[in-house]
Amino acid sequence: MPASLPVLTLLLTPVLALLGLGLLIGAVLGFVASKFRLESDPVVERINDLLPQTQCGQCGYPGCKPYAEAIAAGDAINKCPPGGETTIMQLANLLNIPALPLDESYGQPEIKKVAFIREAECIGCAKCIPACPVDAILGAPRFMHTVIESECTGCDLCIEPCPVDCIDLVPVQTHALPVRSVEELNTEETLACINCGLCVEQCPVDILPHELYWACRGKDLASAESLKLMHCIECGKCDRVCPSSIPLVEYYQATMQAFNTQQNDRTQADKAKQRFELHLQRMEKIKREEEQRRQKRAELAKKGAQSQTRDTILAALERVKSKRKPN
Amino acid sequence: MTDIILILVGAILVNNFVLTQFLGLCPFMGVSGKVETAVGMSAATLFVLTLASACSYLVFQYLLVPLGLEYLKTISFIIVIAAVVSMTEIIMHKTSPLLYRILGIFLPLITSNCAVLGVALLNVNQSNTFAHSVFYGFGAGLGFSLVLILFSAMREKLTLCDIPEPFQGAAIAMITAGLMSLAFMGFSGMV
Repeated sequence: MPASLPVLTLLLTPVLALLGLGLLIGAVLGFVASKFRLESDPVVERINDLLPQTQCGQCGYPGCKPYAEAIAAGDAINKCPPGGETTIMQLANLLNIPALPLDESYGQPEIKKVAFIREAECIGCAKCIPACPVDAILGAPRFMHTVIESECTGCDLCIEPCPVDCIDLVPVQTHALPVRSVEELNTEETLACINCGLCVEQCPVDILPHELYWACRGKDLASAESLKLMHCIECGKCDRVCPSSIPLVEYYQATMQAFNTQQNDRTQADKAKQRFELHLQRMEKIKREEEQRRQKRAELAKKGAQSQTRDTILAALERVKSKRKPN
Repeated sequence: MTDIILILVGAILVNNFVLTQFLGLCPFMGVSGKVETAVGMSAATLFVLTLASACSYLVFQYLLVPLGLEYLKTISFIIVIAAVVSMTEIIMHKTSPLLYRILGIFLPLITSNCAVLGVALLNVNQSNTFAHSVFYGFGAGLGFSLVLILFSAMREKLTLCDIPEPFQGAAIAMITAGLMSLAFMGFSGMV
């Protein structure tokens, strides 16, 4: 027995020491975990902010927010045809995952369109009004409807409910200058940029043209903006001195256009998001009111039926009494 | 005061954990794709390194030494580091969910970042005092952050460049890391 005691302590001390350490650490971690409990997932909001907010449902989810939730839970980022390549790139950038080409089984990327009602044919059935996710259709029953063009997202959800097929999707008129895209410019055979810096000396607005060229070439809009893309006055001095004859200004023009389109789409999407939320609220309110009205009517009908039967009984009794009286 | 400055300069530049001692290469290669992510990772590692070196010093001096259990130092340091990392994870999940998401598996992997365990063990081997241990850990974290952020900035530029096909991806990253390591050799013998 005395011989086994040191062995026991030799074994027990480290075990107890580690156990104590583990217990202490567990307590601290438990405290921290309860202190920093997570309520909601703000990542969903960030993803939702990047989606185009057309609420078209082409991704297979009923709107942009549910798709944002699905992405946060691990769904693929390439199911949004209206957003197209730009949205996929932004999502990939936000979530730090590789960008995928658009999955075309969910639809083709299309040029931006808006709905247009052929007003001569509209019968004023008002079926398209609740279908519009952003409340962009104006009208009332038995009156002609029309689409507010600046609010329409071109989601095509109004086409299907129309009984007389008087709604068309027409391409939006753009007044952008015809500029070659960055992809086209990238395929052009030029010598590589050697960072010689000749363009830097020429630039009258102190841009670093060669750095900006790399950002434009890689379609890195954020970097291009921070490299003062918008300061470029397109004077073409850098073009003329470039020993590799790179079409620098064309690159800047294409990127500026992409940048402006992105900004416009962003404001449009924010507006659409707001309108979609209001639309949901409105639909909810209509449903609630309808429900209340139905209940009231049912109650009234019940009460009415009761009072009617009582009246008939009373009338019958009256009649019987009056008949008996003469006797 | 001088000794603390010397410790910091030594840990950041002269004996940089990543480029001279080759510890913590996994996150150095793994999360250096974007500057933003690299800054997040650096902050997390800096926090873990400083806290872990303080905690492991306390555990060693006030638990293991009195009980004569110095031989348990590796395993108990791993427990301490794992705890500090889990704590960082919980806090980060709450305060910066996007960063938490982006760092993904690399955040729990700070546990197995050999720089963290390396600092704790080196502290014991060099029998540093408490303040020295903390500053050694802090300096190691700063050194890690410095090279990680520099490296990620370079890799960001590299993605836009015309790299010959056989060198694309990891290959050019390795070459860049090697060149950085050569550059940091210039600091050797300074302290």
